[in-house]
Amino acid sequence: MTGHSFLQHIVSTPPLGGRISVSRLDGTESLGLPELYERARRLARRLRARGIGPGDRIGILAANSLEWVLLDLAALLLKAETAGLEPGKFAPSAELMARYGITLLFTDQPTDAPGAVPIGEVRALAEDPEGPEEDTALPAVHWAPRDVTTIKFTSGSTGTPKGLGATVGSIDSSLAAVQEIFEHKPGDDLFVFLPLSLLQQRYWVYSALVHGHDVTISTYEAAFAALRRVKPTVVMGVPAFYETAKRQVEARLRRSGGTATVQEAARHLFGDRIRYLWTGSAPADAAMLRFFHDAGLPIYEGYGLNETCIVTKNHPGAHRAGSVGKVLRGKEVLVDADGTIRVRSDHPVNYRYAYAEPGASERMFAPDGTVRTGDLGHLDEDGFLFIRGRADDVIVLDNGKKIVVRPIEEHMRTSPAIAECVLFCPAQTDLVAVVSPAAVPADPDAIAAQLALTNAARTADERISRVVIADAPFSIDNGLLTSQYKPKRKQILATYHDAVHDSKEGIHAA
Amino acid sequence: MRPDIESAARESLSAVLDPEVAPDALDLDADMAGTYGLTSLNKVLFLTEVCEATDVDLANFTEHDLAEMRTLRSVAESLSRLTKKVA
Repeated sequence: MTGHSFLQHIVSTPPLGGRISVSRLDGTESLGLPELYERARRLARRLRARGIGPGDRIGILAANSLEWVLLDLAALLLKAETAGLEPGKFAPSAELMARYGITLLFTDQPTDAPGAVPIGEVRALAEDPEGPEEDTALPAVHWAPRDVTTIKFTSGSTGTPKGLGATVGSIDSSLAAVQEIFEHKPGDDLFVFLPLSLLQQRYWVYSALVHGHDVTISTYEAAFAALRRVKPTVVMGVPAFYETAKRQVEARLRRSGGTATVQEAARHLFGDRIRYLWTGSAPADAAMLRFFHDAGLPIYEGYGLNETCIVTKNHPGAHRAGSVGKVLRGKEVLVDADGTIRVRSDHPVNYRYAYAEPGASERMFAPDGTVRTGDLGHLDEDGFLFIRGRADDVIVLDNGKKIVVRPIEEHMRTSPAIAECVLFCPAQTDLVAVVSPAAVPADPDAIAAQLALTNAARTADERISRVVIADAPFSIDNGLLTSQYKPKRKQILATYHDAVHDSKEGIHAA
Repeated sequence: MRPDIESAARESLSAVLDPEVAPDALDLDADMAGTYGLTSLNKVLFLTEVCEATDVDLANFTEHDLAEMRTLRSVAESLSRLTKKVA
């Protein structure tokens, strides 16, 4: 975008209205955005007194909280960078701070690392009135389009997370494009429960500061409890969350014995003010999307990577089932002859990683400024993008046939007994699935029944010969799901290597 | 532990499990995460539902309390205590 910058607006103009609420299991704390802004400025002045200024980097390794938001805003006001570090993926240490050039690390975890500050101290720094000896000046800052505000870390399906500096231009461009299609305004309350370490979740705070709507911050665990209290107009979620919500709505319907409608059951869970539900980060199941549309809660799927930011999005003005929406202003989708998708941005997130193993930047960022997504898809005649799978997920069999595994895996996942399914090809034309059961103990009969159903629906080369049932469901804790709830193929294969390669193991296809 | 609260707890836990386990088939002393695959997200959903059914304010619980409640019995007993307080 040219001219107006949302981030520059935020650091130079106090908000006029809107509220921020932080909702935990035991209650909700709420304050006006003008008060939030004043606290952030006070915090910025005190951080400045500790030597933080333009170009310095503040690390934040903590669960979602008001302190997290205040630190992020204070950093913007000082033109300092943030590094959003997701709990569970990182642990506070001197080594971590040295690795990412962090001057001060705010954390809610115990540590004695020099330069680490308990995030609880942020309250006093932001709220206690300033004494006469304190410097109350805060120099004006200017954010240019190529400046980096934050390091975001890829959830990554393998190895150490990659760090990527996000430019002001890319953030401004995404905020403008989203605002153009969803028109968030006073009266809206955007509900955020995914980690604030994911930059996109902070977009909704920035949006509130610029557009004057409300925003509510919660945690993943407390989300369902908070939803009922808060009654937001928009929920910023991911497919796994909505799948859980769908099951709960269905259970409420069953228990009502036919007296409740699906619309009533859905409103009971989400409140009666929902304008729309946002989903992204991972492919959403078509049946789940249809369920919420039918329940009177429009749900819009989109597409984007950390490296591209939001590329496409369904929205009230342009929505097509099965697609991930039309391309947003400022983005261009290029589909190569083999079906792989590249993305060009007017304002790229960046041109290389700030932290990654050698060669990673060159693999992702092409010399022409495009990002190689590694996904397969096509644009229809009206410009809606359809994603078919990952180029990495294509298995080439010994007979030369290419198998796109995602549709087969999705078919397996239609069974209520199967949470996840990942396919491998250990030998020749043999497809072997590793299945994460939806419950413990697993239900081998239901899984075998689904195997038969899936195989009946596929061509000979696409049939699964064996299913290995994982000992425990894939989870973030056991390292087999990314923080965005995507299966980590390499780790899953490493964990179940012996069973995948032993032709006697697992449930065999009939 | 009050029988009506135990019954409400069984119903609410059964509703969030996937695949569903019948309320009567739930073991009061089983570890809900280990035995029934109850995720942290579903645990809050379960507690929200059962608090509503028993008219107990969810705000009585902290995230720490929630982590400590590992069995259906511990949930039902906590709710019974709170209901007595309210009464």
